[in-house]
Amino acid sequence: MAARLALYVNEEETVEAAGGTLSIRGLCKSYALEDRQVSVLKDIQLDIKPGHFVCIVGPSGCGKSTLLRLIVGLDSDYAGEILLDGARITAPSLDRGIVFQDHRLFPWMRLDENIALALLNHDYPKAEKERRVAEYIRLVNLTGFEKARPHQLSGGMAQRAAIARALVNEPRILLLDEPLGALDALTRVYLQKELQRIWMERRVTMIMVTHDVEEAVYLGDEIIVMDAHPGRIKRSIKIPLPHPRDRASSPLQDIREEILNELTATSPEPDHLEEAVRI
Amino acid sequence: MMKPARRIFGLLTGLAVPLLCVGAWELASRQSAAHAWAFVPVNEVWRSFWALLNNGDLALNFLASLRSMLTGLILGSLLGIAVGALMGVSRIANILIGPLYHMVRQVPLMGWMPLMGLWFGTGTFSKNLMVVVAVFYPMVLHTYEGIRNAEKHHLEVAQVFCFTRWQTFVQVSLLDALPSIFTGFLNALAFAWVATVGSELLFGTGAGLGSLMLIAQSASEMEVVIVCIVAIGVTGCLMNYGIGRIRKWLLGWRYM
Ligand SMILES: Nc1ncnc2c1ncn2[C@@H]1O[C@H](COP(=O)(O)OP(=O)(O)OP(=O)(O)O)[C@@H](O)[C@H]1O
Ligand SMILES: [Mg+2]
Repeated sequence: MAARLALYVNEEETVEAAGGTLSIRGLCKSYALEDRQVSVLKDIQLDIKPGHFVCIVGPSGCGKSTLLRLIVGLDSDYAGEILLDGARITAPSLDRGIVFQDHRLFPWMRLDENIALALLNHDYPKAEKERRVAEYIRLVNLTGFEKARPHQLSGGMAQRAAIARALVNEPRILLLDEPLGALDALTRVYLQKELQRIWMERRVTMIMVTHDVEEAVYLGDEIIVMDAHPGRIKRSIKIPLPHPRDRASSPLQDIREEILNELTATSPEPDHLEEAVRI
Repeated sequence: MMKPARRIFGLLTGLAVPLLCVGAWELASRQSAAHAWAFVPVNEVWRSFWALLNNGDLALNFLASLRSMLTGLILGSLLGIAVGALMGVSRIANILIGPLYHMVRQVPLMGWMPLMGLWFGTGTFSKNLMVVVAVFYPMVLHTYEGIRNAEKHHLEVAQVFCFTRWQTFVQVSLLDALPSIFTGFLNALAFAWVATVGSELLFGTGAGLGSLMLIAQSASEMEVVIVCIVAIGVTGCLMNYGIGRIRKWLLGWRYM
């Protein structure tokens, strides 16, 4: 398979050295549950070059959200190393954005205020902030809903607003935790294209957790397949195909099959089987 | 929204028991002369009410009480929110102030009376201070709890956008605490009114419904005492209703 893929030549070595190389070395994370330590992530090794699009798939509870939280800097209680350009990540930075699994908009603010809040610590002039907010609201197709409050939005609309809020900062690394999971098929395809467009234009590094293998292979330069109990990387599959891609192309379909096999192959214990089938 | 007919019916049903009480009262007052002294006949209370209304005594004393209450409410709320917020955001402040606050809170308001009288006299200052203290307690407690229970997910968003502590407090914690602070304010309002009348009754100086009541009592004008009691009760009731409506309106998004 790997040999065959190599035929589809890559264009990815062209990324300029803008910085933002993420390297994760021997990362372990455990939570204290009652009196015992539960290992959630075990010995994660990962290198992500600037401008790459990495998708993470894996069964529910394998630590995908935990991994993103560690990378964004919300939790510095881990063993091993998470290095950004060689420096250990210990706190959040405006360079790194995240779209959480739930939208997390502030219920007391209108949509545009919620998005503008992300720019609080940027010192753009007011007009520039407004322009950016409007631009990103347009990007996620929410023009006309600027003055709506989160409870007046549908789940999918709220999630799109959350995406706009993460993007408006223009971070160098964007972490996405199942951002499109709650959307209808049409909006999802539309936003996949938009994400891809943003990614190609700005060369943001994107790390996206998804349950949708087709989405993963459509967008990702590399797919990380994770396994649970404890969460670890089972396999990493590079997809050296140029973007934008054709969803129906046979190489993509082949890779999709391969990943699906990977996820369902190992005869898991009954409770894992259920999770795997979900994917 | 209830239909008007149903609302009126509801209101009438709500009035049934109070009206029955008034009837029983009237019946009691007709038993004997001694009874009539203890249970002033309803029509005498009514006459007294009109008299007090017409000579302006009721309005004067009512407004004096209201003013005293509002002063205490505003000062006590601001102080309570400030202290509660400080305890909520700063571990050190909580360790320093917390135990003292919880100890002092156990002392009934009346317990402070002798000291306050001694330190500050029996004038307006002491009366206002009583109300401030009464309001302060629930405001501290509810502000503190509101901030402590601020949505963890919201705080993480603030972290991701690199908010400073102050930004996090103003933009997130305080707003997440708002429903709790309002509950505190609702409690405080009830306490404030009781404390206002109580302080007037105890210090017995200046104008106010409590003072009016005290004077009437010493003059054996039971009908005036009863007018005052009803006025105090009705005012408290209306205020609770009013703030309930305001709360609902302000926090509309929470109830959707
Ligand atoms: N704060 C916490 N305390 C204790 N255990 C936790 C905590 N957060 C997560 N876990 C545990 O860590 C494991 C991984 O959780 P995580 O949310 O990262 O999973 P996930 O891969 O994102 O799953 P899903 O696909 O369902 O979102 C789970 O077993 C969960 O129970
Ligand atoms: Mg998750």
